[in-house]
This record gives sequence, structure tokens and C-alpha cells, in this order.
Amino acid sequence: MRVIIFSWEFPPRVVGHLAEYINALSTQLVKNNVETHVVTYHDFLTGTVEEASGVKTVRVANPVRTHIGVLTWILTLNQEVERAAANIYYQADKQVDLIDVYDWHFIPAAVTLKNALDIPFVYSVESLEDHRSPTANMPYNMSIKSIEWAGFYEAKKVSVKSEWMRDEIFRLYNVPKEKVTIVSPNTSSWIKGVLKLYNSVAGGLDSK
Amino acid sequence: MKNELSVMMFSWEFPPRVIGGISPHVFFLSKSLAKNGVKVHVVTCDFPGSPAHEVIDGVEVYRIDSYKNPAPDFPTWVYLMNLNMQKEAAAIVNKLGEKIDVFHAHDWLVATAGIGLKHVFRKPLLVTMHSTEIGRRDGLHTSTEKMIHETEAWLTYEAWKVICCSGYMVSHVRWAFGLPEDKLVMVPNGVNTHVYDGIEKEDLRSFRNKFALPEEKIVLYVGRLVYEKGIHVLINAVPKVLEKVNAKFIIVGSGYMKEQLSNIVRSMKLESKVLFMGFVEDETLLRLQKCADVSVVPSLFEPFGIVALEAMAAKSPVVVSDTGGLSEIVDHDSTGLKVYPNNPDSLAWGITKILLDENYRNYIRENAYRKVQEKYDWERIAEQTKRIYEAVLGEYSKSFWA
Repeated sequence: MRVIIFSWEFPPRVVGHLAEYINALSTQLVKNNVETHVVTYHDFLTGTVEEASGVKTVRVANPVRTHIGVLTWILTLNQEVERAAANIYYQADKQVDLIDVYDWHFIPAAVTLKNALDIPFVYSVESLEDHRSPTANMPYNMSIKSIEWAGFYEAKKVSVKSEWMRDEIFRLYNVPKEKVTIVSPNTSSWIKGVLKLYNSVAGGLDSK
Repeated sequence: MKNELSVMMFSWEFPPRVIGGISPHVFFLSKSLAKNGVKVHVVTCDFPGSPAHEVIDGVEVYRIDSYKNPAPDFPTWVYLMNLNMQKEAAAIVNKLGEKIDVFHAHDWLVATAGIGLKHVFRKPLLVTMHSTEIGRRDGLHTSTEKMIHETEAWLTYEAWKVICCSGYMVSHVRWAFGLPEDKLVMVPNGVNTHVYDGIEKEDLRSFRNKFALPEEKIVLYVGRLVYEKGIHVLINAVPKVLEKVNAKFIIVGSGYMKEQLSNIVRSMKLESKVLFMGFVEDETLLRLQKCADVSVVPSLFEPFGIVALEAMAAKSPVVVSDTGGLSEIVDHDSTGLKVYPNNPDSLAWGITKILLDENYRNYIRENAYRKVQEKYDWERIAEQTKRIYEAVLGEYSKSFWA
């Protein structure tokens, strides 16, 4: 199986808990014979490297240096994420089983790649705009929520770490619970759960 | 057998959505390309009452939901619109079985959609730069302006070829983004001469009488009433022209200088000689252009100068300032007169020269019309554009992407 993970943080760029989680996840996936690529952002450590763990990492920077907000920065950075993912796809003879995208940042790239190349994606939810900025409903926040919505709508499966989050996604976005898988990182069956989820998504858009 | 060449164009405006010059440009270019055997798919923004998909003279037009995501400001809206444009275009190309040979983007407003799809489908991207942020703003003063400029730079970097509509714009774009010379190619903007066919045989005397006395020559200005268009230069030239010729100055268009300009006219007591029309309907404009004894384009900054071309297509003699794209459209003393920019004496000289000599007027008229047909005809421009597509595909076929 060949998987591409999209995350806006990955060591050495650590913003919150996500970087370390993606590091642990990708390492475990390689140990379980999954060819794992991580596409992430770094301002200057750009390019492709194979980590000691066997994970293949592509770090991209934004060609547009001046921005007026997080949104313009993210929306332009997504083209570079697409470019990196497309390079992996073509070098792998067009065989990529799925993309696992963490939070809203790279949802636009995942949506394009799905529609263009039929690569299904899992939307893995770490946090939601509604929790990060409670009661905020300025156009800026609504815009991020609309990107989260597009992620839920276009994803083949949604992955969360707790029942609470599954309920929140249902409450806020009306995502049917059958579409959401709970994979708790604190249990011994964690990586088995991830692999089971990946297997249910891999194999094209029409598989069960 | 080689299948027909197929191009997907991105434009943020397409009729009936008309905001500026890109909309008519893409409209005529795509139709003429289709006539020339190119399969054209235009992906553009939606417009109330227009279908999401239709075929216009062989051109497939797709209108995408461009207000799907709430946006805090205009540039963010542009990038969010591109997100949806890219997604819907990706699905269209996928459905067509990847039968698109070339992507063609018009201006930074569709930059990210074009760049992303280029890499996802590994097809060449072309861009037409109609204008630049640094030219429009005369420098880069804010973060927004810098961001747009850097997006334009990125788009020209990703493009296989950059098309500009005048030699002036070629050198401007080359300077603005530090591009290699062989990446740029000049294809002029076109003008549709057929819009005047319908009124060719019409008797326009009674129409003309609504605007000018029979003994008055008509001097026509069409454009926004803003500083860079040099309308104030024309107003200052009015008394100088009237010393020699009896004329009526008809000013079509609006802008922030209107109040100021009409005050000047009033203080010169020339209200009876200068007519401010504001915006006019297309059919009135076409007839005014046909009636005009001279059309004046006194711009201080002009990337292309489509107004001069339209006047020439209407067989109205033109006087233009010798700047930007206008310098290339008009050959002095042959297809029009070129005068010093920002110089009312020079402008008055040009207008007077044309108005005082009917034979000269007809000579200019005919030369200009011939040039428009030879150089600025959409069919010819479509042929040139098709040749660029073919040249790019030839290079592409030898690349490792092919």
C-alpha cells in the first residue's frame, strides 16, 4: 500500500501536538509495510528526503512570500502541496492508494487530487475552527469552516480520535456517523485501526 | 490520426459577466480558435441567469460556483474562487479522459487554478498577462499589492510561454518579473470589425444632428474620466482647436475627474462645445464612432489601447498620444497621428490637422481600416495563438512529462 500524508507540521517544524503524532504514525506505517510519504511545509528545508525511519518526506515552501492573512498563505501553499503529491503519483506509476489529510490546511489540494486523479482521501480531524475560535463568525472564520465542510463532503472517510469529536462533527456539520471512524492513539490496537481504515478506503473511489 | 488540439482556458470573466477587457478578449479569442479547429473549454465564474454549462459557437463554457466560500476581502475571494475553479476543472478534465493538451490562464485572477492543474495533469500552462499590479498601481505600496505581484511572478514562472498584447507590454512584463526573452511572445489584442457592418449603410444624419450642428466637426473621446487617460489634456486643447475649426467635443465615459473637468469647461464658457455623455448604450457608441470626424486617445499610460483600434475599425481617423501600446497601433501620418503625451498644443495640432483636410482624413481612415483588418483581426490572432500552442506542444512532446 502507498499512502501520502498531508500535514502542515512535521519535525523539525513543531507547532503543536500534530508534528509528533504524524512522526509516530508514519514510522509505524513503514514498519507495517506501508510506503509512506509525508508532504509538509517548511520555509527553507525544501525538497525530498528519506528519514531514518524509512518515511519519505517532501517539504514545500510558499512561492508567494508576502501575504495579508493565513488564508491567502494557505491557499497559495496548496498548489505546491499538489505539485509534490503529483510528483509522487507519477513517479509511482500512478499508484497511490490514498491521501490522509490532517486538519483543514491542505484540504484544497486533497479535493483537487481526488477530482483530478481519483485518489480517495481520509480527512483526519485534530481540531475544528469552531473549537479553536468559539463563537467567532467573521468571514475569516466562516471561510475556514467552509473549507472544513468541503473536506467532510469530499472525503471518503473521516477519522477522529474520540467519540466526543465524532459527535461534534455530527452536531456542527451533520456528517453521518457511518462516515466517521474513531481511531484512538492511546490503545494497543491503534495502528491496526489505522490500517483497517486505510484498507477500507484504498482501491479507488467506488470500493466499499 | 492526431486528434484535434484541445485547450482549457481559465478566465474570471466571460460574457455575460463583463468587468473589464478580459471578458471580450476571451470571448472572441475562444470563438475564433474554435473556428480554427481548436477545441476550447472555457472555465469561468458564474453569473445570475447563465447556465453552468453551454456551448457557444463550438466553445464549451463552464461556469463555476464562485461565491461558495465566504471571504474576508477581495484577494482572499480570488484564491477561494480558484479553489472551486480548480476542483471543478479537475473533474471536467478527468471526465474527458485527460484529453486536454494545454491550459491557458488569463491574468493572476486564475493563477492558482492554472498552476495546480498544470502539475496535477502534467500539461503545459500558458498565460496571457493583460496587465500587471506594478503597472496599475505605479509601484508596489501595500502587502496586498506585493502579494498580487508575487502571484503574477509565480504564474509567469510556471508558464511555458507568456503572451502579451503589445510590444510595450512584452518589455514591461519582462522587466517586472525578470523573465528570459524567449519566454515572451506578442500577440495583439483583436477588434471585431463586424459590429459596424449593420450600421454601414444607415443614414446617420438625423442621429448626428442630436449631438452636433451640421457645420460642427465631431471630436470623440471614449474612456474613463481618470488621470492616466489624459482627458484633462484634451479639455485643455479644446480652445486651441476652436481657434481654427468649428467643432463639437463629445466625451463618453465617467470617472472621478468628471466634476473637475466640467468646472473647467464652464469657466472657459465652452459648455456649448463640450458634451459630457457619461456611459452610453453600445448602439449609441457604435454610431458615435461612425459619425466622429476624429477620435482622440490622449492617454498618459496605456498597456494596449483598444479604444484606438475600435475607432479605426469604425473608420474614424485617430489622434493618439505616443505612449505604450498606442505607439504600436498607430503609424504616424499613415494610420493616424501621434502627438506628444501630456501636451495640449501637440494634441490640438493633431486634431486640427485632421479636421481641416478632408482628403487627408480619408487617407488616414482607409490606411487605418486596412491595418485593423490585416493585423488585429480575431481570425488572424487565433491562427497566431494556435501556432503558439502547437510550438509549445512540440517542445512538450520532447519533455519527460509527455
